[in-house]
Amino acid sequence: MDIKNEVLIRVYVVLVGVILFGVLLFAQTINISVRQGEKWRTIGESLYVDSIVIEAERGNILTEDGSLLATSLPFFEIRFDPNSTAMNPEDWNNNIDSLSVMLARYVNNAYTPGGMREELERARAEKERNYLIKRNATYIEKEMMSRFPLFNRGQMRGGFIVRPNPKRERPFKELAYRTVGYVRDGHLPVGLEGYYDKILRGADGKKLMFRAPSNTYIPVEDLTAIEPKRGDDIVTSIDINLQDITHDALLRGLKYHQAKHGTAVLMEVKTGKIKAIANLGKTENDGYFEIYNYAVGASTEPGSTYKLATMMALLEDDYVDLDDSIDIEKGKYTFYEEEMLDSSPESFQSDTISIRRAFEISSNVGMGKLVQKYYGDQKGGDEKYVERLKDFNLHLPTNIEIHGEAAPYIKTPYSKDDDWSGISLPWMSIGYEVRITPLQLLTLYNAVANGGRMMKPYLVTEVRSFDQTVKTFKPKVIKRKIASEQTILKVQQLLEGVVETGTANKLKTNEYKFAGKTGTAQIDYRKFRAKANIKYQASFAGYFPAENPVYSCIVVVTEPKQNGIYGGEVAGPIFREIADKAFASRHELHKAINNYRRPVLAKNKLPDFDAGQQEDIVEVLNYLDLTYENEAESEWAIIRAETDTLSILNRSISDDVVPNVVGMGLRDAMYILENRELKVVVSGSGRVRKQSIIPGTPLKGQTIRLTLN
Amino acid sequence: MSLGNRIYAELQGDRSIWMIVIVLAIFSVLAVYSATGHIAFKYREGNTEAYLVKHLFFIVGGLVLTYLCYLMHYTQYSKAAPVLLIISVPLLIYTVAFGVEVNEARRWLEIPFVGIKFQTSDIAKLALIVYVARAISSKQEYIKDFNSAFLPILVPVLIICGLIAPADLSTAIMLFLTCVLMMFLGRVSFKYILLLLFLGVVVFTFLVALGQFFPDFIRSGTWVSRLQEFMNDPDGGYQIQHAKIAIANGEFFGSGPGNSAMRNYLPAPFSDFIYSIICEEYGLFGGFIIVGLYLMFFFRCVTVVTRSPKAFGAMLVLGLGLSVTLQALANIAVSVHLVPVTGLTLPMVSMGGTSIVFSSIAFGMVLSVSRYIEKTT
Repeated sequence: MDIKNEVLIRVYVVLVGVILFGVLLFAQTINISVRQGEKWRTIGESLYVDSIVIEAERGNILTEDGSLLATSLPFFEIRFDPNSTAMNPEDWNNNIDSLSVMLARYVNNAYTPGGMREELERARAEKERNYLIKRNATYIEKEMMSRFPLFNRGQMRGGFIVRPNPKRERPFKELAYRTVGYVRDGHLPVGLEGYYDKILRGADGKKLMFRAPSNTYIPVEDLTAIEPKRGDDIVTSIDINLQDITHDALLRGLKYHQAKHGTAVLMEVKTGKIKAIANLGKTENDGYFEIYNYAVGASTEPGSTYKLATMMALLEDDYVDLDDSIDIEKGKYTFYEEEMLDSSPESFQSDTISIRRAFEISSNVGMGKLVQKYYGDQKGGDEKYVERLKDFNLHLPTNIEIHGEAAPYIKTPYSKDDDWSGISLPWMSIGYEVRITPLQLLTLYNAVANGGRMMKPYLVTEVRSFDQTVKTFKPKVIKRKIASEQTILKVQQLLEGVVETGTANKLKTNEYKFAGKTGTAQIDYRKFRAKANIKYQASFAGYFPAENPVYSCIVVVTEPKQNGIYGGEVAGPIFREIADKAFASRHELHKAINNYRRPVLAKNKLPDFDAGQQEDIVEVLNYLDLTYENEAESEWAIIRAETDTLSILNRSISDDVVPNVVGMGLRDAMYILENRELKVVVSGSGRVRKQSIIPGTPLKGQTIRLTLN
Repeated sequence: MSLGNRIYAELQGDRSIWMIVIVLAIFSVLAVYSATGHIAFKYREGNTEAYLVKHLFFIVGGLVLTYLCYLMHYTQYSKAAPVLLIISVPLLIYTVAFGVEVNEARRWLEIPFVGIKFQTSDIAKLALIVYVARAISSKQEYIKDFNSAFLPILVPVLIICGLIAPADLSTAIMLFLTCVLMMFLGRVSFKYILLLLFLGVVVFTFLVALGQFFPDFIRSGTWVSRLQEFMNDPDGGYQIQHAKIAIANGEFFGSGPGNSAMRNYLPAPFSDFIYSIICEEYGLFGGFIIVGLYLMFFFRCVTVVTRSPKAFGAMLVLGLGLSVTLQALANIAVSVHLVPVTGLTLPMVSMGGTSIVFSSIAFGMVLSVSRYIEKTT
């Protein structure tokens, strides 16, 4: 065998060996990728693919004009891990001084740079891994801090930990705070945030994410991914200006009387929309804050404001008329050993007065006696009276869109559970032994203002998704007619009378008329009546303007401590203030001051000798609402003004001779003249005052000079 | 003449090898660009182009180098080999003692004032292969003789491999194997080859023993732990598991260029484990092409050998071909968990200046031989 062949054989042996090795490698690749593929892919997924919940952005709560009552803002929680395993000790030593300076100067002024440094050194020494730097950092602050020394090395090497911490922000701060409400972990949901949580929250998304080192997540393309759905916005009926007015008036009233708490609600009569709702309670440090939704949640004995229902029952059953008389016994009467007293000074001097007057001065004895006479002393009368109250829907909640509405309470006649007694009826007639929330009572007053049509009070008018309306909430009628038209008209008179000459007559204003009823209830009157320190609840419910009601409103002040206790002097002025400002802010409620017959136009102001197309003249005069007589029949016409009338007369324009264009506008004049092949030279502006060629001259293509004024 | 024709005329020699080199270079740019994404974010603030530009520079430089080596007549190399070999001995000793440490291995030497680092073992490797090819071919007449033929070959092989081994055992073993195969091909008698293998084992054992006393110079601790990991853990250690996850993720046609996920977790995805990344992004299909390209390269080398009239040319092509192919296959074998973890790169594909430079030179030399065969036949 020669050398070359021997070498070649060996070469082929090696070649075969190399190829076999290569085939083996590829076979092993297939083995890993296919045969064991499932196993390795599963391991890979379990290690690095996480299903991440992507929180949906919460929807906004808007006022009726789209201002933000509540919105979510991106905030960040900044923490620091001084013991991050990837942190280089050298980095720590080189940067901790400058980091402390930056933190002390820009983030936490409570520390000096030295103090900050000591604090960080302590955290490091005590093996802390999650030291709080700032809880609610804005995006800009977060970005700033990410450039601080050490922090700029990121989470692993710099220990800089950022967690998104979106915050619910209320641009109008405490306005309607309780009604807007909140949803927090570990608390019952409150207000609209709670009631509409499902809509506002949207739907969280789910996404498969690949976890890259240092906990960066990279989305994995995946068909099962669920996009987060942003929560929808809700549009409330709240008018932020009215809310501001209401809040402010209530706050000042409460402060003036040092009351325990109070509420004021303003409702739109025609729709039942709540335009403003303020609830303020005294806090520990003697300030006032929206700590509870008294309007919705506090069911109390209302006192005299309930007399409206009593009067409606008496009138509806046709037992009395307003001008019938009643002996109010000088404001003192005993029902079954229980003494009922009036509080108006007028009562103490009066005996027989009209029922109208008894209502206006809020005589308890008057109401009590009437109810006792027409219901209590009649067979089945108690039930009849209670049925009447139920006709006015005083036994059902409003189902306002806020959780925790207190149900109204009316005793069932003769029921032992309800502690029914012989005096229940007269006391119910003046607003005791029943309970009702301010909002529920307002619903009744609103119905009276609305001519007997009872509207459901509501707060949310629309649901919007990305500025597109997805759902509208229309006004809802609870009861088309709670009482006859007669009854309603009569009680409207009564409520106006209260303001004109009754318990609220000090609140009367000449700017507009309003109607309403005062109420001064003793809180827990049975328990406290023997004692000196009786507590009161002062209220005023009514509507304005009286002739054509737009808003109804109730103000309830609980436990006023100074400057008076009566509804007319505590709650009434708050009502007046709200009404004044609401009235002033709505110009459409004002009477036009020039709403009388317009003066006849002076002759020199009337258009005289103006010429033009008849059609145009007619249109202009019609638009100006001027009366005229049209005697013209031709296309072109002229206006003549008489002393008190206008007439439109013919202006003949001939095709053969130079026409008369005096009085016309330039456009009409040019049109006519140039169609007759005259050359027009113009000077001045306005209407044609003069023309250089006398009308009637034969046409020869002359040049005509027009002078305008 | 069009540009295509011009290039075709310029690039003579085995055109299949030209194609293979170019395809590997393209793969290299794609895979390295993807695999450096993570370190670009770590060290260069996300400037991935920095690594791309650097790598492109080396790849293009490498191709130019291939072309230059191709232009030179291959017999010139035979003259330079003994000189290079002699220079490389002190360089290697210097490297082991004072070299730059990268990843706890002292394989690098920094050229003073320029700041470019290079692996001295690569120079020594090239010099040794050329030297062995020259020695075998020039001593063909008395190749079976111990003193005059075997000893002059044996001594440099043992010295060079023994000097490379402390810091870079896998390269040393690969070089040693390449030389043994070259001797086998060069008709050195079997008993001497067996003797050589035995001596190799003796030197290795000696180094391991020495490593107990000089752990700073000899990485015997790492060798033992990697060997243990290979023997004891059927799924492989952290690196191997991630290499397998990458290969499995690729399935048949891969997740697409730039879509590798495991590049974020594999250490050195741009060099040691680039085969896994190629498999992840281009699937089994990509893996098949890579393995196929190296096999094809070796096959083309054999074709050159069969036509080579001169023994030195044949031995040079075989030596270089074996060196490149075996290193490639060994690198792939690590990724698919057939051998313990090594630091071997995938020639011409992995990122890394010296690796590319010396692969390019090797390809250029092979092409040079093939060109002169074409000219003479």
